Amino acid sequence: MKRLSAFVKKNPSFTVFLILALCIVAVAVLAPVLATHDPYEAVLANAVQAPSSEHLFGTDKLSRDLFSRVIYGTRTSLSAALCLVCIIMVLGTVLGIVAGYFGGAVDAVIMRISDMMVSFPGMVLAIAIAGILGASMINAVIAIAAVSWTKYARLSRSLVLKIRNRDYVAAAQVTGSKTGYILYRYMLPNALPTIIITGATDIGSMMLEIAALSFLGFGAQSPTAEWGLMLNEGRAYMTAAPWLMIFPGLAIFITVVVFNLLGDSLRDVLDPKS
Amino acid sequence: MKKMNWTKKLLAGLLAGALAVGVTACGSSDSGDSDSSNSGSSSSSDTFTFGCDYFSEYIDPSVNVNAAWSLVRFGVGETLFAFDEDAVAQENLCDEATTEDYITWTLHIRDGITFSNGKELTASAVVACWEMMYEKEAAGGSSTLSQYLDGPTFTADDDTNTITVVCQDVTTNLKGILAYPYFAVIDLDSYEEGVVDSVIGTGPYVLDSYVEATSKTFVRNETYWNGEVPYSGYTAIYMSDSSTKAMAIQSGDVDVVENVTTASDLETLKSDDAYTVKSTAGGRLANTYFNFSGQLSNETLRQAIQYAIDDETMCSVTVGGIYTAGAGVLPSSMDYGADQLTDPYEYDLDKAVEILDEAGIVDTDGDGIREIDGENISLTYLTFESRQLQTFAEAVSTVLNSIGIGVDYQVLSYDKILEMQTDGDFDMVSSNAVIVPTGNPDTFLGNFYSGNSSSYGYYSNAEYDACYEELITSTDEARKAELYVEMQQILIDDAATIVHGYYNSSITYNNSVITGVEMYPLDYTWITTDWAPVN
Repeated sequence: MKRLSAFVKKNPSFTVFLILALCIVAVAVLAPVLATHDPYEAVLANAVQAPSSEHLFGTDKLSRDLFSRVIYGTRTSLSAALCLVCIIMVLGTVLGIVAGYFGGAVDAVIMRISDMMVSFPGMVLAIAIAGILGASMINAVIAIAAVSWTKYARLSRSLVLKIRNRDYVAAAQVTGSKTGYILYRYMLPNALPTIIITGATDIGSMMLEIAALSFLGFGAQSPTAEWGLMLNEGRAYMTAAPWLMIFPGLAIFITVVVFNLLGDSLRDVLDPKS
Repeated sequence: MKKMNWTKKLLAGLLAGALAVGVTACGSSDSGDSDSSNSGSSSSSDTFTFGCDYFSEYIDPSVNVNAAWSLVRFGVGETLFAFDEDAVAQENLCDEATTEDYITWTLHIRDGITFSNGKELTASAVVACWEMMYEKEAAGGSSTLSQYLDGPTFTADDDTNTITVVCQDVTTNLKGILAYPYFAVIDLDSYEEGVVDSVIGTGPYVLDSYVEATSKTFVRNETYWNGEVPYSGYTAIYMSDSSTKAMAIQSGDVDVVENVTTASDLETLKSDDAYTVKSTAGGRLANTYFNFSGQLSNETLRQAIQYAIDDETMCSVTVGGIYTAGAGVLPSSMDYGADQLTDPYEYDLDKAVEILDEAGIVDTDGDGIREIDGENISLTYLTFESRQLQTFAEAVSTVLNSIGIGVDYQVLSYDKILEMQTDGDFDMVSSNAVIVPTGNPDTFLGNFYSGNSSSYGYYSNAEYDACYEELITSTDEARKAELYVEMQQILIDDAATIVHGYYNSSITYNNSVITGVEMYPLDYTWITTDWAPVN
């Protein structure tokens, strides 16, 4: 308890943003409890109603309760963003470590593929991939993952290159350690803190990218409660019923800000220089 | 260290300066825009701008149906007959049509008409154009004239300026058929296949230039036969998004826009005195075809769906009144006996649940979806983004899922839907079609005839088939009117299709700029010489 208290005192901003992030996760987990209505229930006659005590955020074009949809949208948006970050972290890190450790042809192939991906505008390529695969949340995650893993690959490769020729690695090789063990025991731990910090700061931007694809019609499909899709559905009512865009937009804004600041403060916590 | 600070300060100063210049530049641009919008219009009084959907790059009627429609809609091409505000075909390029047996027709081409290049419109020029169209169709072209007039022979007599049309069967509605844009007349001497601006017609405007998929500029036809052309020209700007159209007219970027379909935008424009929204209950039907070869062959399931759907609310609230609800497949605004129809499946959600329960279509495994013969009801509902069809499909799916009828609705491209529809790869499919394309609905009613219905869900009813066979050969208008009612009632009783409503086509214009704009029920006609500057 004393250690926890000391940690909080030492890292107040991280503690605050962690609590806020946990609150967002709690909203996602407790969505059925927090939601006041079934997010998919439609009573058509009550369409596009302004916020009221009955419907806190108003209703959408199919009379669904917007507050409940925003709450349930946390589940979709958050889980998709976390999945995406995990995928690109694992994929990029593994490829980067392999490229950095083995070098030669393996390095050349992996990094040239990475260069190819980087040479396209990320969002445009993601739209193209999502367009080919078909519109769905899973395909949106795949599309963004396909263009986003390169950052982690480059990062982990450079971190591995820093220690690749250190004596303790050479000693491990000489003493007969298996390659897999060396990668797991020496290379990965060296890259991991930086990768985790990058991953934490990426949650917000990945959430934005998923929302963008859904907004453009390449991600979540109706009637899914997803913030980007809700923004798109509200677009037609931008002037007459702005709440249809304001509340999902606010949800995205708050979540992205919290996770970005959490990532920044996590960097401060893990940064050995500080 | 001190030097470093100076460098940083200098860099920061430069960046701040660049930012300030950028912001100022943006500000200047904005203020320019606002000046422009204050004028209320982007065009001079001698021209106007028109915001419309991008249907086709071409205005060549032989390319496809959209190009044919564009030819007439943009006021470049004209047909021998044209539909008036009551959807009745009236003489246009032809001033007299006679027949004794409804098989052989004699059409007289109005004297004194020229193409916009000054060449005289003769009977042989008309026939040459039509024969080219049929030849291209026979060679696999997309413009299918024979669906309206199959295998006719045309004979031109330039001395009397008449055309003799011999039809294969009794054709009582030849005037209406020839009013369809496929039969618009263009000058073949000027025409070059694939060259967009080589198409010369007899209409009030001539295509002058175009930017692919962006805009087209038209100029006045100086030799127009039917009165003075008020404008020296106009520009059609393509914009597919409904909200973009609404914002474009509000900002003064365009003076007229067609078919703003978003309910809130339409309401905003209607309530603003600066604009007039003209709409008409046209000949378009939004409906959903059922596939009778799948789970929807179950009559109780179809009836329950009909009971569950509140078309009145969907038309008036969900899509904001851009459709008028009705029970029959033919528009209630036209004289097809809508008032004689009875709908046994008026909206009653409780009744829908009740008949499903009574028929044993219940959810036995607790997954929220009812089962038929031990299998979950799983209906694939195909839809596309056009005139709020997607919203209808979404609303229907939501309601049906709420009573345990599993519906997976998919938004696909129109081409993909046509492909899947032809293959019978659907349970429900949205449609929005002009059902009186030639002034009568006979062709549309053929979609439910068992000989044709394979692309529309395999509906089959012997009584309906007999009515249809009588309809297409009958010349007795009174009997045809009875058959229209009978056939619609059969479809209603069989719960054969979901009738969402009849589309109210609309056109919106800026009152301070333009006048004379009308929306016709058969919206092949957009730009006419009635469109004139306010002053």
